[in-house]
Order: sequence, then structure tokens, then C-alpha cells
Amino acid sequence: MEKKARISKARLAEKLGKQYHGRNVAIWFNLAVTIITILLSMPFVKWIHIINPQELFAKLKLKEKVIEALHDSYSIYNILVFVRDTKTGSIGFFSMILLLVLVTMLFFQFKYIYRFFRKKKDTNGNLNLYLVARTGHIFTILLTLGCAGYIPFTTSRFGMQGFSLSPVVYIIGILAVISFACIVLVEAEERKIYRERGFLYEFRKNWVLFVMLIPVFIYFMINAYLPMLGVYFAFTSFNFRDGLWASPFIGFKNFEHLFKADLYRLTRNTILYNLAFILIGNITQVIFAILISQIVTRWFKRLSQTLMFMPYFVSYVILKVLVYNLFEYKSGVINTMLVSSGLERIDFYNEPIYWPFFITVFYLWKNLGYGMVVYLASITSISDEYYEAAKIDGANVFKQIRYITLPLIKPTFVILLLYALGSIMKGQFELFYQIIGNNGVLYNVTDIFDTYVYRITMTQPLHIGIGTAAGIYQAVFGFVVIIVTNYFVKKNNPDNALF
Amino acid sequence: MRNKIKEPASTLVLRFISGTFAILGSIVCLFPFLIIVSGSFTDNMTILHEGFSIIPKKFSLEAYKTIFRAPKDIMQAYIMTTYYTVVGTSLGLFATALCGYVISRNEFKYRNHVSFLIYFTSIFGGGIIPWYLMYASVLGLKGSTIAIWFPALTSPFHIILMRTFIKSAVPDAITESAKIDGAGHFTIFFRVVLPVLGPGLATVGLFLALGYWNDWYRSSMFSTNSDTWELQFYLYNLMNAQTAIKQMAQYTGLSTADLPTESVKMAMAVVATGPVLLFYPFVQKYFVTGITIGAVKG
Amino acid sequence: MNIKRILCLLLIACMLLSLAACGKGSKPASTPDSSSDSTATPSTEEKPVIDTSERVDLVFYVMGDPPKDEQVVEDAINEVLLERLNATVDFRFSTWTDWAQKYNLELTSGSADLIYIANWINYGTLANSGAFLKLDDLLPVYAPKLLEIVDEGLFNQCRVNGDLYAVPATWPEYTVSGVKYREDLRKKYDLPVPNSIENFEAYLLGIKENDPNQGLLTCTVAESSGLLTAFDGFMIVNFKYPWVNINGLPYGLAANYDTPSDVYDYWYSEDFIEDCKLMKKWADLGFWSRSALSDPNNDEAFISGLCVAEIAGQNPNKHIAAVNDFAKNHPDWESAYIAYGEVNGVIYPAAATQNGTAITAQCKNPERALMVLELFMSDESVHRLVQYGIEGVHYEIDEEGYYNNLSENFMYENFNTWNLRVNEFKLPQRSDAILNELFKKYEELGNKTKWPNINVYGNFTENYEDYAVERGAVSDVMRQYLAPIQAGFVDDVEAAISQFLEKAEAAGLQKCREGFIEQYKAYCAEYGYDK
Repeated sequence: MEKKARISKARLAEKLGKQYHGRNVAIWFNLAVTIITILLSMPFVKWIHIINPQELFAKLKLKEKVIEALHDSYSIYNILVFVRDTKTGSIGFFSMILLLVLVTMLFFQFKYIYRFFRKKKDTNGNLNLYLVARTGHIFTILLTLGCAGYIPFTTSRFGMQGFSLSPVVYIIGILAVISFACIVLVEAEERKIYRERGFLYEFRKNWVLFVMLIPVFIYFMINAYLPMLGVYFAFTSFNFRDGLWASPFIGFKNFEHLFKADLYRLTRNTILYNLAFILIGNITQVIFAILISQIVTRWFKRLSQTLMFMPYFVSYVILKVLVYNLFEYKSGVINTMLVSSGLERIDFYNEPIYWPFFITVFYLWKNLGYGMVVYLASITSISDEYYEAAKIDGANVFKQIRYITLPLIKPTFVILLLYALGSIMKGQFELFYQIIGNNGVLYNVTDIFDTYVYRITMTQPLHIGIGTAAGIYQAVFGFVVIIVTNYFVKKNNPDNALF
Repeated sequence: MRNKIKEPASTLVLRFISGTFAILGSIVCLFPFLIIVSGSFTDNMTILHEGFSIIPKKFSLEAYKTIFRAPKDIMQAYIMTTYYTVVGTSLGLFATALCGYVISRNEFKYRNHVSFLIYFTSIFGGGIIPWYLMYASVLGLKGSTIAIWFPALTSPFHIILMRTFIKSAVPDAITESAKIDGAGHFTIFFRVVLPVLGPGLATVGLFLALGYWNDWYRSSMFSTNSDTWELQFYLYNLMNAQTAIKQMAQYTGLSTADLPTESVKMAMAVVATGPVLLFYPFVQKYFVTGITIGAVKG
Repeated sequence: MNIKRILCLLLIACMLLSLAACGKGSKPASTPDSSSDSTATPSTEEKPVIDTSERVDLVFYVMGDPPKDEQVVEDAINEVLLERLNATVDFRFSTWTDWAQKYNLELTSGSADLIYIANWINYGTLANSGAFLKLDDLLPVYAPKLLEIVDEGLFNQCRVNGDLYAVPATWPEYTVSGVKYREDLRKKYDLPVPNSIENFEAYLLGIKENDPNQGLLTCTVAESSGLLTAFDGFMIVNFKYPWVNINGLPYGLAANYDTPSDVYDYWYSEDFIEDCKLMKKWADLGFWSRSALSDPNNDEAFISGLCVAEIAGQNPNKHIAAVNDFAKNHPDWESAYIAYGEVNGVIYPAAATQNGTAITAQCKNPERALMVLELFMSDESVHRLVQYGIEGVHYEIDEEGYYNNLSENFMYENFNTWNLRVNEFKLPQRSDAILNELFKKYEELGNKTKWPNINVYGNFTENYEDYAVERGAVSDVMRQYLAPIQAGFVDDVEAAISQFLEKAEAAGLQKCREGFIEQYKAYCAEYGYDK
């Protein structure tokens, strides 16, 4: 029996492996499936039909006006519109997940088509293509299962069956399964040729490494990935009656808060300050680290390091008090000095122009010692042998620094820079909130995204949506920045890239 | 061994520059701290009327008396914070080092994917409320000490930092030769990587420890009993009492007398920082002296 | 490229969790769509049986910090509770750090059963949104004594859209805003009593003349973070206007106490320009620091002599606190208090929603919770346990019936349960003597107003969901453009005002106003304030 199955499997694989125009059967078949899937996933193909409309609308207690605006069938793209208009928040989250799965699936389908027609050949034959195809199919299957589950879910939420699924979904699912099987067969063959292994092999070979990752995996699941589901709140209007997961879906309305603001000004301020902090900050830290590492007297080295570390412990709350004592108009330290040397008082707190400079200085002051530590550690792990060799070759200290120290801490520098760039839209909230506080006069040059969001969320207690929406804006912005930068850094030197 | 060879001029110049910068930097950083310490020993009225100064204009221990008037409470806070710091830093260092090791190995095919997934969490997040719900509702850890030290065990920053350190300290050649000798990954990790990871462990350990020591937020969110409060929260809360009661006294009959004052704010900063500055020098030696690895030929 | 695999697995996990979470999420939320009306009708039988056979552990969430003897007093209370109602109560405290955020979090996710409510922590908005249980049906069955103890008028003030969500405290309080000033300096330099804007100016100028180094006012923006005003010093105009609410109505509107439903425009009026010019005059005279908008510490300014008067965020309690402090530290200083209402004729007691107790929507034992609440407020000995601690250990009652504190470990109302105050049970304190005098004075004045001793505006809850975006934007415009005007830091007042109004309009001021006026007028009509 088994021998027969193996033979037929081999024969099938052979058939699928036959080449036409440079591509084998399985790939052509997959292309067909992909195109069909994409066509059937277009917005004009409605997957969800409303059955029993009269009963349903009565059950949901909808008004005439609302009913008029509804359609009798929806695609996954605009099912959320239905959710929003009928205020059925309880099915909102599931609908959003379906939309996300659909979008991901389409992403992989399009990627397959792109790869198919691309001229450039991969180094490992068709294996990458197979991977894209298989992933696309997995998402298709997930989507089908999800949609299938969607119906009983909405039934339970509505209290009666209101939706029915178009058979199109099942067609797509079946096609995906078939194509998946074909790809698997052909892939096994090609793998042997290119001596690449799948995930299971890697796992068996290096299972210890996977085990080592478990603590961190647990940590990030609990602390980051599971809470990430909360991103959904950015699209709801929270109220206690419906609870977190069933509050009415309002689409992008929460984001209006951000657009009503002077988004350009906020973005500009946040980015400029962050760039200043990151660049000037890191550069000064490197300079100081190098200088400190040059000091020979050990006690002096350690003492100055400790002293420069101290500002880290001065909380911004206390800094605010000190700063106020410094800049206050009548009796502040600076103004008293100006007056006693015969100059005019300066109204610092009503003049925006000084503050970008001041704030940058405060930030640098506070973080110098802290950031320096990383660079110091990097410098001390540079082997002395390099310096010895350089000295023998006659290089003086400055040359040593230029040709040994700097290049060897460059990876650290680049990594830290990259890392910080991803958070470029996330400002130093504490710093700005404490130092500037509620002084509106200075807002034009010192208002950053975080403080603005904080102020508007303070005016309403049910503000979960606004805060999350703001977070999404910051995240998307930083994400785009980091993907682009990492790409270029990787091209330059893959070791310096973040990922 | 004292080197009697005369140092070249350039080295001396650089040493001089370093010395100057170090002195300047130290003064600039120390100066505000001196004011804070002085303020903590100054009579409160003097601060309000005459501002701050380097030497206390009118010496007074009132601020410290206020903070330590409940010595049992503050000792408890110190103990709990030490507990969190020790537990959190050790567990966190262990997890971070392991992860850093794995993603620094070129033989691990998925290292870039894992790095990406780790880094992604630092950009994207669901926000404070889902995070809080995760610990309070889903895991039911509200009131437990676990909820205070677990969330800060590691972070993308620490892991990436550790990875960089390991990459430069332990090149692939070494692990390969160790593997040829028949060592498994754990053996390599404990016998080869850890010993040379001094600066890396010290740096990340320092950051973790400082993070734990300075934290007050998690106490604020998750503690249900003042027995589990962190030191910074205990102090911060004292300070907030003043602002909050002032706001609330608009509506309720709370007395606003007998509350922490400016000098107490300064004293709190000293009390919280003191211990760290005492133990920082011990960690420093890992940055000041170096630990070099043996040469790798070829 | 196996990032996709990993993403895949993650997504599956997400989906599974979302299904689980959806299931979980719907449980703590009130009820599924089928019964969207009354959330807690306990029993539909004719005669509900009050069954206390099962022990219930309740959580009572209150504000502030715990007292030192929290456990001791709690144990004493629970001893009684177990015996009488087979229940225990655990007091949980928000602490003074981030209390606003924590309060909201507790409602969203927490396990509190009974919770402190107040209008200053958004009682109206939260009640509207379904955070608390409706009490109309539960009270008669499980806490009938409360219906006798608490006046119906007070209950009505706690209604939101007709439904009752909270049980208020019954001790009448007057938290009238006013001016707190140094009476000893006034007498010393023979200055007029600052009971009007002109007199106040004369008072400050007089002090400045005689003692140029004396700080006069330390106004900041601490009390001005909402939609009413943007600078504390501006509150002085309350001497002039008999408004229905201190600082008028939001969004630059105003209405007088006698004609509450007659809303007129303040920001566009000549009066407003005059008032702003007055502020500029005062700023130029140096009444407050030019860095006032960033001033971080004005809390102790009055009691440490840095300023001679405070005009924002004051109430009789703060005046008493100053009196007490002066008695201790500066016996020759004297604090006096003039309520704005004494001058403009509008005095009313604090709204009932100043301090109240509500039952959270996710409470699993609302019946028992209500019974416990009833016990706290109806039984004098239990009431005293909760409010004052253990008699003989923490306090004693002297011959004249006053409260005397015996131990620092539990002070007066140290559980911060101001919401449980019952007029008949509240033990007077010696320091309350002055307070009671003041209250009596205010009560008399209040009786002379059109609606005797009724807080006309206090009950109104604005539902700003429809214009939340504009509201936030307008608030921000106020911080940036109105604050310097009201603090008198602008050169050309009229130009600055028109710029401010322009920006406010662009932010959506009209939409806010329309929404507000519609609701407010409906509210006035409902309560009969438009006669």
C-alpha cells in the first residue's frame, strides 16, 4: 500500500515538475489560483449577505434613517461600515481581524505575482517563490475559517442569524488547499537540489537555541504582543455599558482629534527635538567616553564618571523647580545676575525663542552620564593589542582614536542611532511636561505630540480611543522611518543593521 | 609596571583635554546636585523666600525628619525595592544574555526575524490600558509583587545592546572551534561567552538595576497594599499628596496643612539616589578596566 | 523569510485570543444586546428574600492614601459586618498619585464593588456611560433606611438622565469660592476690605506702597485647565457677575443665577475686553510674576507669606487651614475670607454629587453591597467605626460632644470616606467652630436667592461625545492664546482677543456652543429653571 502511495506521489511530483516556459506546472497552477483569489477578493464581490433584514433591523432597533443607508450585502472591506452605522460594537473586533487577515493574504498574493514576473533569478531556484505561495495559502485558509466562524459568532451576538456567507469564500479556501499540497510536493524535490532545509530541520538541529529564546518569548508575549490587540480601541468610542470589546466602532473618528490639531507643528517639533537629542546626544556621549577612557589616574576616572552620572537621578519634577529658580523674571538667578551687571531682565517664560536651546541642554545634561556608559563599555572591550600594534607602527594617540576606537565603536553607535530613530515620533514627555507645563505661550516651539495628546485626553475621562490612536500615529511614523533606514544600513553593512 | 618611556606630546595634549573636559563635565553635573543636597538641609521658609543656594542659608533637618517620621514604612520600601532590583536584574540579565547570544550567532537562520519581532514591540504597542488589563485582569496579578518586577525584565534596547556586546566579544570563530571540540550551546554560553562578557553584563545589568530602582509607576498601578511599594513611589506619593489634596480640598474638607514642602522634595531626591551612588563604583570597574579576550589568530 | 511563519503563528494566537477575549469581554460588560435597558433588576418576584447565607467579600474603592491603622480598623469593621450581614469590606485606595487615571482604570477593569464618586471625577459622564448600576429598584428592597436618611432632593441631584446612580452624603457643605486674604495687613495699613474689584485693587496697591518687597499674588494656571477660564487671576471677575456658576459657563458663554436659561455671550462682549484690560493693568502693576504661567509652587505661598491673597480655587476649608497654620506658626497673622457670593449675591450649597457612593457595573453582589452601605450610613456605631476608628484607641468624645483625636494612626475620616457622612452622625471638631459659623452665614444668604439654597448648575452633565474633537481643540486654543491675555502679558489686548477668537472659531467653538446650549436649555426646562 505504502509503496503505491509513494509511487503515485512521486509520479504526481514529476508531473507537477514539468517545465513550461521556464516555470513548472505547480507554479503555473498556483498563479491561476492566485489570480482567481485576488479577483474574488475584490471589493465588488460581496461575501456577506444579510438575510432576514426586517427581523434583524428590528432586533437591533435601528432607525429608518440608518436602515436606508445599509446595503444588503457587504464585502469584508466595508463590513466595518455596517458595524459603525448600526452601532453593533460587539462584532467590531472580529470584523477588524478578518479585514487584517484579508489584507495580509492579498499582500502575499500580490507578492507572488510580482515574484513570478520578476526577471531577476533567486540564488535558490524557486524556493522563495514556494515560500511566498505557501504563506499566502495559509492566510487564505485562515480567512476562510475565520469567515466561517464569523457567521455563528454574529448569530450569537445578534441573537438571531443575520448574516450568511457567500460560497465564494469556500471556493477560495479549497483552491488554496489544493495549491498548497501541490507546492509542497514540488518543493520537496527542489529542496534536495539546493540543500536548503525547512523550519523543522532547523528546529531539530538547533533546538537548544530555540529553548534559550523561551524566557524572552514569554516576556514579549505577555508584555507586548498580547496587549497589542488593544490597538482595536483606537477605532472605538469606549463606554462602560458596552465594555472594552463591544463599544461602538467609529472608524477613524478618534484620529480626527489629531488632525484637528496643528499636526504639522507637533510633528515638526517632536522630530526636530528628537533628532537633536539623538544626534547631539550620542555624539557628545561618544566624545566624553573617549576622553574619559584616556584618563590614566584611576580614581579621577571613576570619580568623574560617577559625578557625570548624577544628573540621571534628578527627576524632571525637581529639575522644573531648579529651572524656575533659574529663569524666573524677578528673582531668578540669571535675571539677578543680569541686573547686577547693569543689563535688562529677560522674560524667559514668555519668550519662546530661548527654549529649544534650553530644553536640548537640559536633556543632554541629564543623559550624558547614562549614555556614556554604553560607549565606555564598548571602548574598554577593544583589545589592547590593537593599540599596541598601532603604537609600534608609530601612530599617535589621535590617530589611534581615529583608526581604531572610532571604527570599532561604530557598530554600537549605529545600532543605538537606529534604535532611537524608530521612536522618533515619541517625545520625551516628562521633560516637556514638567519644564514647560501649561505655559501656552511657549507651545509653538515646545509643544510635542505627547504633551498635546496628554492635554486633550485630560479633558475627557473616556479617552482610551484618543490615546491609542495617537500611539498608532507615532508607531506608524516611526515604523516607516526605521524600515527605510534599516534597509539602507543593511545594504551598507549587514552587521550594523537592527534586523 | 611603570613606563618610564616618555609619552609623545600628542598623548599628553589629549590627556590634558580629557582632564579638562572631565572636570568641567563633573562640575556641570555635580552643581545642581549640590544645590539639591543643600536644599534638603535648608529650612523650608528660607527656600521659599530666598531661593536655593550651594550652602544652606539656614540649616535644618526638618525635611529628613518628615521623610523618616515613619521609619518602618520607608525601611519597608527600601527592602522591597532592593528585592525587586535583585530579582529583576538577575532574571532579566539571564534572559537577555541568552537571547542576545542566540541572535548573535550567524548559524541561527532566523536571527533577523527574531530581532525584528523584538524590535517591533518598541515601536508598536496597544497602549497602557491593555497592558494594565493583561496583568490585572487576565493574569490576575494585581497586588502581587510579580506584577512589579516582571514587566521590566528586559526590553528591546537591552537585548540589542547585549547582542552588540556579544557579537564583538565572541566572534563566530570561537564558537565554531568550541563546537568542534564537542561543546553544546549551553556549555559554550556558560564557559565561553559569559566570562568575557564583563562590560556587556555590567552595562545591561546597570541599566536594568537602575530601571528597577527608579521605578514608581508599577507600584502605583499594581500595588494594593503599602507593604509592596517601591521606594520611589513611596516618596513620589508623599509629594503628590500635596498637589492632589490641594485640588481636592476645593471640594472636600481636607486640611492642607502639614504637607511636604520644597525642602522635603529635595530630601527625597537625596534619599532615593544615595544608595545607588554608593554601589555604582563597584559596577564601574567593568568599564574602567577592560577584559580582553585572547587573540584569535587567523 | 520565515518571518511569515512566525507572523502566521502569532496571528493564529491573536485570533484565538481575540475569540477568548471577546467571550471574556462580554461578561464583565453589563449585558448582551438582548436586555439593554435596566442593568440590574435583582428579582422579579413579588417578595424578594434577602439571603445572607453566603459570605461575600466586597471591595470599597476610595481616594487618597491609606491610614496607618488600616488593617486594625478594617478588622473591627469586618467583625461587625460578618456578624450582621455575613460580608467583609476591603478598603482600597487610589493613593494621591495618578488618581484620575487609576480611578478610571479601576472602573474599566477592576474588582471594586462600592466606589466613591464625585462630580469632580466625572460622575455625570461616567454614569451616563454605564459605569455604575442603577439604584432605583434596588434601594427600596435592600436599603430602605437610606431612603429615609437621605433627602429626596439630594437623591434627585444625583440623577443622570432621570436614573439614580449614587447615594450622596448628607452633610451640607458650602464650598463657596472666594478670596482669602491677610486681614492683619489690611488693618495694619488701614486698607479697605477687598470685597469688590476696586477695593481689592486698592488693597493690593496699599500693601505694595507700604511694603514694596512683599509678594502680592501668586496666580498660576493650576485651577484653569478646563473650558471656563485660562488663568487663575481672572477669577476675580466673579465679584462683578452674578453668574449661575463660578467663572460662568464653558466656551465663553454665561448666564445669571436669576435667569439661568438665558444664555448670553461673554467672550464676544465689551465686558470681556474691559476685564482683560483690567488684567493687563494688574499685570503691569506687578501683582503677579511675569513667569506666572510656569510657576510651579504656589501651594504654600499664602501660609509662608509669599503672597497676601489667593483668589482662585479657594473655599472655606482652605481658609480654616490657613487660620490653623497661622495659629501655630505666625500668631500675629490673620486670615480672612470673602466669598464671591457674598458680594454678587449668588450662594448655593455644594452639589450633592460632591461626595457620593455608587455601585460599579461589574459588581457581582450589588444587593449585599447596598446592604453594607445602608449599615454604614444608618447604624451609628458602625458609622463611627468607619469614619473615626475605634473609640478609646483612636478618638474620644469629650463632654461637649466634640471629637478628640487620640492617635496619629487613624485621624478624622482617615478612610477618606467623606461620601459616608451623615448629618446626624457627624461628630463636630473644635476646629469646625469657625467653619460652622461661616456655613450658617452662607445658609442665610443662600436662602435669599431666587432658588433658595439650590445649586442650580450643579446637577448638569454635559454629554460632549458629538463634539469631543472640537472641545479638545478649543481647550488647547485657550491654553495657548487666552492664557496670556487673561494673565495680562499681551501688548494689545483687543488685537490679541480677536486673534484668540479667530483661533477658537477655527477649532470649532460654534459647534461646542450649539451642542452645549441645546443640552443646557433642555436641562433648565426639565428642572423648571426657565421660569
